[in-house]
Formats: sequence, structure tokens, C-alpha cells
Amino acid sequence: MTSHVGRLYALALALVVFFLTWTTVAARPWVHTSKRVNDPRLAALAAREQRLRHESVVVRRIVQKRWAVYRVELRKRKSQIAAQQAQLAAAPAGAPSVRVVTLPPLTVTRTS
Amino acid sequence: MIARRFRAMGTDVELFVEADDAERALEAAENEFHRLEALLSRFRPDSELSRLNDERTLEPGPDLLEVVELALLARVRTGGRFDPTVHDALVAAGYDRSFELVPADGPAAGSAPCGGGVLVDGRRIELEPDVRLDLGGIGKGFAVERAAVVLAAAGPCLVNAGGDLAVRGGSWPVGLETADGQITLELDRGAIATSGRDRRRWRRNGHEQHHLIDPRKGTPAETDLLRVTVVASDAVEAEVWAKALFLAGEDAAAAEADELGLPAVLVTVDERTRLAGGLR
Repeated sequence: MTSHVGRLYALALALVVFFLTWTTVAARPWVHTSKRVNDPRLAALAAREQRLRHESVVVRRIVQKRWAVYRVELRKRKSQIAAQQAQLAAAPAGAPSVRVVTLPPLTVTRTS
Repeated sequence: MIARRFRAMGTDVELFVEADDAERALEAAENEFHRLEALLSRFRPDSELSRLNDERTLEPGPDLLEVVELALLARVRTGGRFDPTVHDALVAAGYDRSFELVPADGPAAGSAPCGGGVLVDGRRIELEPDVRLDLGGIGKGFAVERAAVVLAAAGPCLVNAGGDLAVRGGSWPVGLETADGQITLELDRGAIATSGRDRRRWRRNGHEQHHLIDPRKGTPAETDLLRVTVVASDAVEAEVWAKALFLAGEDAAAAEADELGLPAVLVTVDERTRLAGGLR
């Protein structure tokens, strides 16, 4: 009876030792952390990420500057078009403005 | 100020613009004249107007359509004194080719009925049998307006095409022939047109003919006026009323100009000048 219980304890202990050993081996503690960080592919990716971030900032600045110039030009052009349309629309619709003067004429209009 | 002169629509055209650099606008305005002449001339067999007169029905471009609509509206507004269907009457009177080529004299002139039907249905124009259109005067007024719009983009401007003149912006002294000399009108906006029988005239069998047809008779108009100048809001309007007042005769023309508020200068056959329509 006693030896039977002892064998069970021995088996349980062996299982515990087995799993502990497995966990330890799976963690690969002999591989140094710095080795993984120094992987050249990771380093290249990190550098590329940095470069892209920098480029995106520069591009954003350029776009914002051009957009600001465009908006100013657009406002100017819109006001020019509005003024011109107002002038063109007003001129033919309004009554003619004419008076007899004693100035020398710039041109003479004759029978068509 | 920059000026350009060229010949189009059988007359000398002058463009003036107050700007330092307006070459492109001047070029565009001149091109507009030539483009519209190519569409609206009855003397060019390939013009849209000639095709309409030949084929009786046509779906033309927007310019011919607009001019025909303006002419038909003018026919209604002037009680038929302005009428685009005078083509055959002009030909019967002897004006059957570009004016420079019309013989000074020839066999007796005839007449032709005017006032026939012109139907504008959407974008299609249809002419009744024996109806042909002449858009000479109103076409020139239309071209003057279009050129003025193009030129106005460069600055204040004046467009003068023979008897039709329009200004946009600025203040322009314009000379007019009167019975005993010349007066100057200062025009700030609007247009001036002059219709008369002192030019574009010829003889047939010894009788004087001219290009202002009375649509009621189908022959050159007989009136106590030699020349009428009208100032209006645009060159088409001025052209239409100059012709209509010319046909009305001195007293009726003066009364109508006063009533409509159209500044007008009437020169009579017996060499008097009369101002009307509020012009002093």
C-alpha cells in the first residue's frame, strides 16, 4: 500500500519536473536579447520608418504652403471674375449714358 | 490706349482698348468678327445663313439661332419696320453681291414681298417658301457686341464697325455727321448705330436705290430722312431702332424716340439736324 502511494507521488513529481524543464528550454534563455535587436532587417525597417515619417512631415508642409497660395489665388481670381461679370452684365442692361460735348472725337461713326 | 483696324463685314472696323497690353484680346475680338462674318454673310455660299436660305430648314449653331431670334423679336417690336426677310427685295433692288461689286447702274430694279414666315422650333429654323433672310445690319450689331464683350476683358474699350459702335467702360467722344458738319457725343456706356441712305446706294435705270428696304413695299424706303443715329443699351438694339426710325419719317421718328427715351440724331433730306429722345 505504502509503496503504491509512494509510486504515485514519484510519478507526479516526475511530471512536474518534466513540464518545468520543457518551459525553461522553450524560453531559450541562452539567446541574448541584444542579438534580436541587432537583426539588420529590423534595423533597416526602423530606419525606413524614420525616413518616411520625416518625408511625410516635409510633404505635408509643402502641400499646406501650396494650398495656402492656391486659396489666395483662387480668392483673387473669383473676385476678378465677379467684378468682370458685374461690369459686363451691368453695361448692356443699363440705359445708355450719352451727352453732346465739344471735345474732338476719338472716332467718327457713319452710316452703315 | 491701343488701337487696331481691319476690314470685316464689308466695312472698316476699329477697336480701341485702354490697356497696356491687350494684343491677345484685340486678336480675339478681330477673330470674333471674322468668325461671325463667316456664319452670317449672305454673300458667302458656305455660310450658315446661305445654307439656311438654300435648304429652307436648318439646325444652325447658337450664333445664327440667336441672331434670327433677335431679328424676329425686333420685327414684332418695331411693327414690321425691321424685318430680316428683306433678302429678295434687296436682290431685286440690285444689291445681290458684296457692295464693292454692285454695278453703279443697271437695268430697272424690281420689288419683292417681305414679311414671310420664319419658324424657330427649338434649335431648328424653318423658312416659308420664297422667304430668305438678310442679317447684314443686325449681324454687324451682334458682332460689335460680341467683340466688345471679348475686348472688355482687357479694359475699357470701344468697337466701331461702320455705322455700329459699342463701348464698355471709360468715356468715349464719338463724332457723328450732321447736316452741316459734325457733333460729338460722349458715350459712357451703350451703343450707337446709324442708318441712312447717304451710303450704300446705286442706280438702276437711272433711279437711285439704297439698302434700307421698306418691308411693307419691298423696295428701298422713301422717307424725308437722310440718316438716323440712335443711342441704345446695346448695338443690336441701336441698329434695330435706327432702321425703324428711318422708315418712320422725321416727325414720327422724333415722337417715337421721345416716347421710348432713345437718344437720336435725325438728319433730314433738306439738310436739317434734329435731336430727339432727350438728347440736347
